[in-house]
Amino acid sequence: MFLRLEEITKQYGGVQALNGISLQVERGTIKGVMGPNGAGKSTLFHLISGMEKPDSGSIWFKKKEITGRPLHEIARLGVGRTFQTLQIFGNMTVVENVMTGMHMRIRGGILSSGLSLPWTREDEKRAMREAKEMLEQFGLFGRWKWFASQLAYGEQRRLEIVRALAAKPDLLLLDEPAAGLTYPEAKQLAENLARLKENGLTLLLIEHHMGLVMEIADEVAVLNKGELIAEGPPEVVKKDPSVIEAYMVRK
Amino acid sequence: MVDQAQKEFRTRDLLYSIALWFLSWLIPDPQLHYRREYKFKKRDLFYLSAVLVFPLIWPDPHIHHLMVLAGIHGILALGLTLFLGYAGQISLGQAAFFGVGAYTTAVLTTRYGLPSFLAFWASAIMAAIFALLIGKPLLKLKGYFLALATLGFGEIFLVLVRENASLTGGVIGIFNIPFFSFAGFTFDTYLKQYYLIWGVLTGLVLFSKNLVRSKMGRACLAVASSEEGASALGIDVAWIKLGVFTVGAAFAGLAGSLFASVMSTANPETFSLNLSVLIVMMVVLGGMGNLYGPIAGAIFLTVLIDRLSRYQEYSLPLYGVILILLLIFFPDGIGTRLRVRLIYLISYFGRKKRREKVNL
Repeated sequence: MFLRLEEITKQYGGVQALNGISLQVERGTIKGVMGPNGAGKSTLFHLISGMEKPDSGSIWFKKKEITGRPLHEIARLGVGRTFQTLQIFGNMTVVENVMTGMHMRIRGGILSSGLSLPWTREDEKRAMREAKEMLEQFGLFGRWKWFASQLAYGEQRRLEIVRALAAKPDLLLLDEPAAGLTYPEAKQLAENLARLKENGLTLLLIEHHMGLVMEIADEVAVLNKGELIAEGPPEVVKKDPSVIEAYMVRK
Repeated sequence: MVDQAQKEFRTRDLLYSIALWFLSWLIPDPQLHYRREYKFKKRDLFYLSAVLVFPLIWPDPHIHHLMVLAGIHGILALGLTLFLGYAGQISLGQAAFFGVGAYTTAVLTTRYGLPSFLAFWASAIMAAIFALLIGKPLLKLKGYFLALATLGFGEIFLVLVRENASLTGGVIGIFNIPFFSFAGFTFDTYLKQYYLIWGVLTGLVLFSKNLVRSKMGRACLAVASSEEGASALGIDVAWIKLGVFTVGAAFAGLAGSLFASVMSTANPETFSLNLSVLIVMMVVLGGMGNLYGPIAGAIFLTVLIDRLSRYQEYSLPLYGVILILLLIFFPDGIGTRLRVRLIYLISYFGRKKRREKVNL
C-alpha cells in the first residue's frame, strides 16, 4: 500500500477536527478529498505532510511509518505539497523558486558551495537547465526572470505546483490548486494534472471545484465534520444521499 | 500635454543620460544577488581596483588606519548580512564572536607562541564552535526573542572575559600581541595592514558570493520568506539557520583575530553591546540582501564616527540625526537603492522645469 492512514484523530482545543479517519491511496492514482468548509480537509493534509502531529492513529507511506515526523524529513521521503495560502518565495525569481525545489537533489553543503567546488557548480548548471525546462512545460518560461511576487495569482499557483514537482516527489498533496483560478486556467490545470498521473505520480487533492475533481479523480473521499462519510469512484459518490445532504444541498 | 513634454529634446538630457550610464555600472543595482551568472562583472573589477589603488592615491597613514578599521567592520557586517539579510534572522551577539576570535589569537600567540597565521584560522574555528554550541538552543527562537537571547549571550561573554582574569587578563586585557606575519613577512605598517585586511575581505566576499548563488543561498532566502514552504521542499530549516549563523560567527572570528594582531591588544571594552548594535546598523544602513551594501555601510559609519569625533560633545546628537535622515531617505540602505535614489535626484530638476513649462 502506497499511503495508508489508520484511525487518525486530531483535536484543536475542544473541536474534533478529525475523528477516526482511515484512508488508502494506491500508487499512480488521483484521489480527491472533498467536503464543506471546516470538514477537516486541510487538517488531514497537515497531518500527512508532517506540519502537525495526530493525537492518535498512524500514517504509513511506502511501508514506513511517518506519523509525527518533521515536515522536511517527510518531504525527503518523497511527499511534496502545496499550500492553501500560497507559500511562494517572493524574494526570489521564478526560476530560483523552482531551483529551490531541487534543493534535495543538488550536492554540496555550506563549505563546498562557498568554495564553488566543481561538482556543486555542475549541479547548479544542471538544476538551472532542468528548472527552465519545467517552466517551459507549464507555460511559465516567459516569466523566468521575474520575481515570484510579481506574478499574477494564477501563475503563482502554477509556480507552486512546479516548485513542488521539482523535488521529484512520489506523492503530491495539492491543497485547493484551482482556488481563485479562472475557468480556462482551471481547465489547463486539469490537463496538466492528468499528464502528471500518466507519468506515474500519485496525487491527493483537496478541491472545492466540483467539476475538476469529478473530471480527473479516480476516487473521491468526502469528509464532513471530521468524519469520512463516503468514499469511492466519483460517479458513485456523486449520487450518495449523505454527500448530497452534507455538501450540495445544504449550503 | 504629456506627449509634448516627451517629444522635446534638450542637450541637457544627454548630460543626464551620460551621468546615469556611468552610475549604472558603478553602483550596485537594487537586487544584485538575484542575478546569478557565474562571471565577474565590470562592477566587481571596478571595486577591486578601487580597493587596490585607494591607499596609493591617498597616502595618509591616518586614512589607512581608518580603512583598516572599516575593513574589519566590513568583515563583521558581511558575516552578519548572511544571517540577517539573507536568512532573515536577527543577531545582536556578533560582537561576542568577534571577541572570541580576538582572545583566541591573543592567548595563542602570547601564551603559546603560535604563529599568527595559525592563530588566525584557529580563531575562526573557535568562533564557529562557539556559534554551534550557542546556536543549537538559541535559534529555535524567532524575531525579538532571538534578538534578546543573542544580546544576552553577548553580555554573558563580556562577564566571563572580565572575571576570568587568569586567562584573558580581566578588564585590562592582553597586550603586545605580535603583528600578523606570514612566511617571514610582517604586516607592521598601516599600508601593509590595509592590504592584509582588504585582501581577507575580498576573499570572504568571494566566498559569500558563491554561497549566496548556490543552493544554500536559495535555502536561506526561502527560510526568510516562508519556513513552512522551505521545509515542505525538504530544506532542514533549523540546520540552515545554524549553518549560516556559524559561517557569520566564523567571519566575526577572523575579524577579531585580525583586529587583535593589527591593534596588538585585546580588551573587553571593544566587544561591548555598542559594537553589536553598530554592526547591525551597518547592515541595515548599507542595505540588506546585497553583499556590497554592508561593506559600504561599514566604510560609511566608520568614517562618519571618525569625522564626527572632532565635534566632541555634539558628535553623538549629530550622529543620531544623520542616521535618522539616512534611514528616512534611504529606507533600503545606501548600498541598495542608491542608484534609484540618485537617478531620481538627477532627473528631479529636469522634471521640475518641464512640469512648470507644460503647465499640467
